[in-house]
Amino acid sequence: MAAALSGILAYLGCGLLGFIGAPRAFSLLALLGGTISFSLWAPGFPEVLVGGLPWGIAVAGDPWAVGLWGLGLILHATILLHARGRRDAFHPLTTVLIGTCLAAALSRDLFNLYVLMDLSSLLALVLIASGRRVRAVWAGLQYLILAEVGLTLYLFGLGLVYGRLGTLSVSALASLGPDLADPALAVGAALLLVGAAVKTGLFVFGLWLPQAHGQAPTEVSVLLSGIVVKVGVVALARLAEAFPVGTVLLLLGIVTGFGGLVYALWEQDLKVFLGFHTVSQLGYMLIGLGLGAGTGALLYAVAHGLFKGLLFLAAGEGVERVGQRRMADLAGQLSLPVAVGLAVGTWAIAGLPPLAGFAAKGVLAQAAPGWAKTVLFALGLGTAVSFSKLVPLLRPCGRGRTGGLGLLSGAVIAFGLGGILAIPGLLSLPACGAALLAAVIGYALHLGLRTVRPRLPRFTFDRALVSALAGAVGVAGLVTLSWLPWGR
Amino acid sequence: MEGLAAVALAIALVGVGFWTLIVRRNLIWKLLGLNVGASGAILFLVALAHRPGARPPIVGLGPGPSADPLPHALVLTAIVIDFATLALALVYVIFLTEHRHTQDVRRLERDEERGWPQP
Amino acid sequence: MKALAAVALVGLMVLLALGVSGVFPRPAVPSGEDIAAEWGAKNVVAAIILGVRLWDTLFEILVYAMTMVGVKLGLRLLRWERPLPPVAETPLLRRSADLLLGPIVVFALYVAVSGHLGPGGGFPAGAILGTALLLLALAKGVERLSAEIHEPTLEWAEYGAIAAVLAVAGALLLLGRRGSAYLIAANLLIALEVGIGAWVVLHRFASSRGEV
Repeated sequence: MAAALSGILAYLGCGLLGFIGAPRAFSLLALLGGTISFSLWAPGFPEVLVGGLPWGIAVAGDPWAVGLWGLGLILHATILLHARGRRDAFHPLTTVLIGTCLAAALSRDLFNLYVLMDLSSLLALVLIASGRRVRAVWAGLQYLILAEVGLTLYLFGLGLVYGRLGTLSVSALASLGPDLADPALAVGAALLLVGAAVKTGLFVFGLWLPQAHGQAPTEVSVLLSGIVVKVGVVALARLAEAFPVGTVLLLLGIVTGFGGLVYALWEQDLKVFLGFHTVSQLGYMLIGLGLGAGTGALLYAVAHGLFKGLLFLAAGEGVERVGQRRMADLAGQLSLPVAVGLAVGTWAIAGLPPLAGFAAKGVLAQAAPGWAKTVLFALGLGTAVSFSKLVPLLRPCGRGRTGGLGLLSGAVIAFGLGGILAIPGLLSLPACGAALLAAVIGYALHLGLRTVRPRLPRFTFDRALVSALAGAVGVAGLVTLSWLPWGR
Repeated sequence: MEGLAAVALAIALVGVGFWTLIVRRNLIWKLLGLNVGASGAILFLVALAHRPGARPPIVGLGPGPSADPLPHALVLTAIVIDFATLALALVYVIFLTEHRHTQDVRRLERDEERGWPQP
Repeated sequence: MKALAAVALVGLMVLLALGVSGVFPRPAVPSGEDIAAEWGAKNVVAAIILGVRLWDTLFEILVYAMTMVGVKLGLRLLRWERPLPPVAETPLLRRSADLLLGPIVVFALYVAVSGHLGPGGGFPAGAILGTALLLLALAKGVERLSAEIHEPTLEWAEYGAIAAVLAVAGALLLLGRRGSAYLIAANLLIALEVGIGAWVVLHRFASSRGEV
């Protein structure tokens, strides 16, 4: 425990010192401190109350903490390698942001998670806006306001749950076995859930996500999609542990998966397209959580952090180099490392063996019943259809900077191979066949669908706000009704 | 009884605040609405800490049971967070005002749709 | 749209009312007096904020500090086309600033130092300190005051205060020491950090005033 806490303190302290001077050196120092701390506690540690009874903050080195620490450290190394030219407060801010995410991975206290979710969205806004582009500032401002609405709902739920049970620790809540026929607990749990869902950016609640992730500077998008989103996923995982909310998460996951996909299919802006795919991929993690397959959800979260980080890094590098954002304008313009990075990322996100996406999807599918396998296959097919749009972009044109692309590509490949070797039964013939089938059908469908251009409703700020509130209240109301005795 | 009145006020504050947040077109009004809503959540927590005949959670301050001290501590954190959010959001409203000469959400949306023409 | 929003808000209020109806009776909670005694405090809330839930408070301080950074970054390159409108100066304001400044600062110190014994603490003390600076700015003019206050020194002091809080808190978390001397020191450091931060925000906002 002491090792993990000192690792986080090292991150925060180095971040603060970086504001005074030598930002890159302090960022590197933080990475070193974090790595040492991680290697000291990596086998995990049991839950401890920091501050002691009765109100201390529960932290534990459980699998989620281990997975997200690994992810965070790799992404930090990538950013250090890649962002040479960034000045200002970029390095200190990213250092503090990663420290916050690492702390959230350890936390098992509902209020501590609230503070960390809020800190991560504030830092994310500052970083999104650091490019000083009007588009990015506007997207970031929407992000902040919507996240704050979600977190207000979360605070209400927290008050109700604390008021009824007198504890904030996830483990204590789980061991009390909250009886959701109690209206205070039913409403409280529902509000906690939708609050975290709005902050995470699930479909219909958090339509700020694609624009905010897409308009941010390159390395910031990597961090946002790689690890900041996972803070919300961790919060949802903790809630799933404390309250019996599996079915709700499953339904939300399916809606999120397909909703994000539909918008991604017809999006032309490369980075916003990747942002919609982040929404869609959140669906997989929620389906994993809803099915009770915590390990599958965790592996998917880590794998997604790696390959989506890689995709955003390559896309951002390409977009900044070429100066165009639309996919059609980027075709045949990208340098070799960027094209290779995009190819590895696309290969991984399509779930083709032997990369990270294949391993993570395999673990999810192992835990899924038959109908859920069909849903997962359909989601994978949709992902393949929409990622077929990237194929013309993969034709390289000249050499370019590699930066952090090599490291992340290596991590994606290593994660996939390691997963296949470590988990038996992953690399079976049907699994590979299904993955290849999805990719082939997906490409064919893409060719067929190229001419179809439906007009999807645009989500302006007001619409996003109303849909977030109405969706949140609607889901919370339905959930409460289904739990209360007279609603059945 | 005071506890219930405070809870009712908190719920009303959220209603008013979020209504302002949705209906107003000016960003500053929206932020004010958001902050009023967040204050509702804070009042809600404080009101839940109350119990009949309770005294403040300070040792030796009168008879009776002590109010639940934890929500008070949580609220202090939440207040700072709300203040921070408001300050940061206002900075970017100033930024948008400087660059687009408007704080009207619909005009910003229209500009976004048209690809941000020079104002 | 509006109808949907109204329905959603009414639904939210009904949900909350339903939830509150189930909160009572509340479970018995520990009064926390033993914790206060353990930390050498009388104010249980102070013992919780600076002691038991110190881990939260660290991030709370960080939220504040990062907001200062965001404000500085966000407003740094702003250039209004027109000259800044002047702030009205009145003799009354000057005179009252002269009279009030000392008492306000002393009061802020008092609130910080006695925060573990009664209502108060580092955050309110910092806010009071910030208002003292605002008063001074109103009396002297924002531009003149911010020219007189050396900005880099302020920044050093701010980050130094946060780093000191982090160091003290880290040592405390890892070693498990507790006592009232620590509470006073932590409250003073937090007051310093919050006061400087409030000044930074206020004077940045004030010096980027303008008209649309």
